[in-house]
Amino acid sequence: MIKENNIKLIFLSLSLLLIILIFFFPFFWIITSSFKSPEEIIATSTTIIPRSFTLEHYNKILFNSDFFIYLKNSLIVSFSSMIISIILSVSAAYGLHKLKFYGNKFVEYSLLVTYAFPGVILLVPIYLLFAKVNLLNSYLALIVVNVLFATPFAVWMLKAFFKLIPNEIEEAAYIDGASRYIVISRIIVPLAAPGIASVAIFCFIISWTEYLFASILISGDDLKTLPVGLAGIVGQYQIDWGFLLSGAVLASLPVILLFVFIGKYFVSGLTEGAVK
Amino acid sequence: MKKNNIEGWLFVSPLVIWISLIILVPIYIAFELSLFNVKIIGTSGKFIGVDNYVKLLGKSKFLNASLNSFYWIIGNAICQTFFAFTIALTINYKFPGKKIMANWIILSFIIPTVVVVVIWKLMLSSSSGVINSVLIDIGLFDEATGFFSSPNKAFISLVLINSWRWSPFLALIILSGLNSINREMYDASKVDGANFIQQFLFITFPNLKSVLFVLGLVGTLLSFNIFDIIWLITKGGPSSATTTLPLLIYETAFTKFRISQAATLSIVTSFLLLLFSIIFIKSMAPKEDD
Repeated sequence: MIKENNIKLIFLSLSLLLIILIFFFPFFWIITSSFKSPEEIIATSTTIIPRSFTLEHYNKILFNSDFFIYLKNSLIVSFSSMIISIILSVSAAYGLHKLKFYGNKFVEYSLLVTYAFPGVILLVPIYLLFAKVNLLNSYLALIVVNVLFATPFAVWMLKAFFKLIPNEIEEAAYIDGASRYIVISRIIVPLAAPGIASVAIFCFIISWTEYLFASILISGDDLKTLPVGLAGIVGQYQIDWGFLLSGAVLASLPVILLFVFIGKYFVSGLTEGAVK
Repeated sequence: MKKNNIEGWLFVSPLVIWISLIILVPIYIAFELSLFNVKIIGTSGKFIGVDNYVKLLGKSKFLNASLNSFYWIIGNAICQTFFAFTIALTINYKFPGKKIMANWIILSFIIPTVVVVVIWKLMLSSSSGVINSVLIDIGLFDEATGFFSSPNKAFISLVLINSWRWSPFLALIILSGLNSINREMYDASKVDGANFIQQFLFITFPNLKSVLFVLGLVGTLLSFNIFDIIWLITKGGPSSATTTLPLLIYETAFTKFRISQAATLSIVTSFLLLLFSIIFIKSMAPKEDD
């Protein structure tokens, strides 16, 4: 018994160490590096503890680049995509959860497949379609695509949250004469609020990190999103690492901030019985 | 439960219409286009369009990209299963800081992929990368290597980077499966003298079936779709070693400007993925219990 516990402890410590090294250390590295002097960043002898401290990279990116334009574009696209995704998927998830109808299994599995199906396969056709209907180079183009990517999994998650709401509460409301609309807006949505919050984060993240479509559907500099702006620096022959790193840190900041406040709903939403 | 057809479809239809419009209309356009190319050459006829497909299937570029995609999916499946299970099983234990770790492990998933690219380009840089300098310090390497310079190294590095991004997210989904397993089963098996490896094989794994079904399907398709990480790091090189089907489609359409060829490629690929999904769902879908 004691022996087995010891083995477990060794395994646990080893995997914890591995996880911290692999999944957390890189963040420490780029954050500290973004404050290093340009010479120290590209030095062949790397320094774990920074020797220099400078704000010049942040100065440059904040006051001497298009960062705020990209940030504005990313915020507009991500928030709009998130709100539309939530409305559409709450409605669909409720329908799939509560109302058995002809074809519901088909819709459910199709959604699961579409969650992963789009991506690059649709790139060329969507580009052509949007060119036909004059949608290229607009926020709407990105919003339409992001909603497509975010909603299938959102529905899947929401359904799991709705399942956690006891049926009796809803039944009681109907007996008291409440309409379907009242039941959804006064009972289902408030009770599933943590779940809806976590799905909202998911939708926001999907839009915030999207690069491929944003790089193809948008050509005007004034409409580019943060990932596309950053990728422009990555692609340069002579990479200005300090500039790039501070940009990377700043581009991650909004999602991280969002996560500080509602991240625990997202994680507990994912881990406590979603996707079943 | 009684059927509720009209109301049910009313709730579902806004999303279903949105999704089908944005998927089906473009696919129709692509299909039309994959035949259009033939018309330009001067042969008009309904079935001549098939030639376009036949030509494509014989091309070595297409075969190479299909093989790369296949290796990409297998490689990612192995790596991500390993990382995701390690993370999920570790977080499932009680230890100080467990909550913080469970919340923040997903950091690599919530940041933009471009940032993932920046992180690993710097970490793996041959001139000033921390990984190279650590490996040299321990004595594993004699001199700095370019992790993206040879075909094999580039491919493996990309698989690892992509797994780094996705594993924590998958780990949380596995964790949801772990949480739903009845604790008493473990206690009972302990009384019967089972060790923790046996517990994993005979209790944990079988009970994760429905979660693993979703992950197997969605994970495979998601891996297949990965574009930005590969494109931004290697552009498909060196010598097309990391050109998967998504990269080939992109290249054909937007760097070589052969839109109809790219459309043909898209149609063929959609068909392959759809076939895979149907077979996977038909053969692996767990029985409904509600």
